[in-house]
Amino acid sequence: MKGPDVSWYLILSAVLFVVGASGVLLRRNPLIVLLSLEIMLNSANLALIGFARHLGDTSGQVFALAVMAVAASEVVVGLGLVVAINRNRFPMDVDRLNTLRG
Amino acid sequence: MIATAWICLLSPLAAAALITLGGTRITRRLAGYLATTSVLVSFAAALITFFRLLDDPAEERSHVSTLWTWLSAGDFEVGLSILVDPLSVFMMLVVSGVGFLIVAYSIGYMDGSDEERRYFAYMALFVFSMLLLVQSGDLVILLAGWGLVGLCSYLLIGYEQERPVAIAAAKKAFIMNAFGDATMALALFLLIQRLGTVEYGAVFSRIERAGGDTVLTLIALGLLGGAVAKSAQIPLHTWLPDAMEGPTPVSALIHAATMVVAGAFMLVRLNPVFEAAPDILDLAAGLGAITLLFAGLVALVQTDIKRVIAYSTMSQIGYMFLGAGLTAYGNSMFHLMTHAFFKALLFLAAGIVIHALVAEQDMRKMGGLGRVLPKTYSAMLIGALALAAIPPFAGFFSKDPLLAAALDAGAYGQLLWVVGMTGTFLTALYIFRMIFIVFGGEPSPFVREHLHRPGHTMPALWMAWTVGALAVLSVVGGWIQFSPFWHPLSDFLEPVAAPGVEPTGAEDAITTVLSVGLAVVGILIAWWIYSARRAEVPRWAFGQQLLEHKFYFDEVYDAVFYRPAALAANAAIRLVEGPLISGSIRELTEGTRLVASRLSEAQTGLLRTYALALGSGAALLTLVFLAVKL
Repeated sequence: MKGPDVSWYLILSAVLFVVGASGVLLRRNPLIVLLSLEIMLNSANLALIGFARHLGDTSGQVFALAVMAVAASEVVVGLGLVVAINRNRFPMDVDRLNTLRG
Repeated sequence: MIATAWICLLSPLAAAALITLGGTRITRRLAGYLATTSVLVSFAAALITFFRLLDDPAEERSHVSTLWTWLSAGDFEVGLSILVDPLSVFMMLVVSGVGFLIVAYSIGYMDGSDEERRYFAYMALFVFSMLLLVQSGDLVILLAGWGLVGLCSYLLIGYEQERPVAIAAAKKAFIMNAFGDATMALALFLLIQRLGTVEYGAVFSRIERAGGDTVLTLIALGLLGGAVAKSAQIPLHTWLPDAMEGPTPVSALIHAATMVVAGAFMLVRLNPVFEAAPDILDLAAGLGAITLLFAGLVALVQTDIKRVIAYSTMSQIGYMFLGAGLTAYGNSMFHLMTHAFFKALLFLAAGIVIHALVAEQDMRKMGGLGRVLPKTYSAMLIGALALAAIPPFAGFFSKDPLLAAALDAGAYGQLLWVVGMTGTFLTALYIFRMIFIVFGGEPSPFVREHLHRPGHTMPALWMAWTVGALAVLSVVGGWIQFSPFWHPLSDFLEPVAAPGVEPTGAEDAITTVLSVGLAVVGILIAWWIYSARRAEVPRWAFGQQLLEHKFYFDEVYDAVFYRPAALAANAAIRLVEGPLISGSIRELTEGTRLVASRLSEAQTGLLRTYALALGSGAALLTLVFLAVKL
């Protein structure tokens, strides 16, 4: 087996996940929040594929493909919401979009 | 024969269904003709049944026909069955015959009223219910007819829905009758438990095996309760005068053909059951006697023309109860028939008077109508003479043998005979008081102002010919039986209900002379006071008040039944409903709302809190799993 050890991939994946999670928690622009969400998903994909390679088992790759399909549909809905927010001239700020408050 | 009996039963039901389902596609006039024709078909079918039955030998005149098993529970089965025997055919003829004339009269009387269709559908249904009652082949079908008759009376008494008085009267009639239905149902339960059957034949032949005297008495008492409520006998009579709120032909139908006579019919139909409990039979006769006296007295002070006639019905049904209670079944049924003729006549003639005076029923405003409505006057006079039992009118032939039978029935019978004789006197007095006030003398100012003379229009003619037919029947209807000499009706009914008393010729003669004498005295006194005005109307404050309040029955029932119930209900509202039921529900909603408002604070609407909660939750779960693993 060539290339770096699986731990490198996992470290990169963890770093990407933390970057994504910080983005979701700290940024206010819904578009950036969505972007960060994609980074989190892809960090998970990276971990899956890393393990698949390490174990020589393709089921991890299949799983990653399924995650991509889900991510694609999630992006469709999410971007649609962002466009709708923008078109209705609502503030592009998740902290001010709080009408569902109980 | 069975087929014609079924046609007789179902024809009015078909008309009622057709009028109801047809809706506005059936014109109002057509609805009237449909109902009338259907009852005429019933009458024709009853006639054919009657003649076919006559062909049978006297001992075999009893035919049961079962359409299907209507109710089945274990061994116990009830068939939808009818019984054709002399008694039921006799009743079919009376109900459909008199019913036909009354429904035909309604075509004229109800002309131009709103909702004629509803009226005629109810009328046809009423006739059907009564036919079901008299043709029933077992006690459960009898009870079904019993209840349906009560329902129809409720619908028709409250026909004028916009008048609260009519609605109150309808409810009163229904509740009183429901009480009777309930006691009857209890008696049936006892009977079913003891004998396991409700078929007339089986019940009659095995009634002695139902149990001891107590059980038999209870069964008969329950059945009598139903009869007393339906026939408006004391103490369940208070609904009948109030039932005058319905249109006049309805009163005629209730009084003459379809409802109140059901009690007397039941006493005769179930005579083996009652004879097994002689105490109850005596009680029935006693109640009849008290009622006839009571109604005769109260009728003396009534001012509403229909109420006078209503009280006279109560008193005549009292005679029938008296007769049936003393086992003079044939005479009792004969009186039922003649009573149907002259009572329908009195009501329908009163209807013409009320129509002519634009719905005025107060006799005090009437007077001198004999001059302006001579034909109505003669019809009413015939009805009054028949009611007062003056020969040769119908009432004479039926009432006198009934009283003669009482004279033959021992000391108790003789006591009731005295009461019945007093009743004869009162009857003549109150009905001729009405005749002289309404028709005698010069027309009163009110009459001159409001009289609306019936012309020769179609409605007036319908009313005229039916009243004419009833007037003829009220004269000749009694001639079919003159007890001492010929008695075809009693003979015809004998296989079903054999009378237990056989008055001698002397008893007959004494009764006839005395009763006609008393009736004539009554008429003369009425003439003396109300027509010739030679004497003042006797004033006796206490007595008058007592009579005007109808012996305070309504007041007593109000105090004994209504007020405690209303008080208890109010107390229940205040003590149970308010604090306990409403209160607990209020506490429950408030508690739920409080918890929900606390919980909803967690819903901040901030995306980041949700994400943080999600992330920290996942992290926590991971830690937990790791901790467990290690």
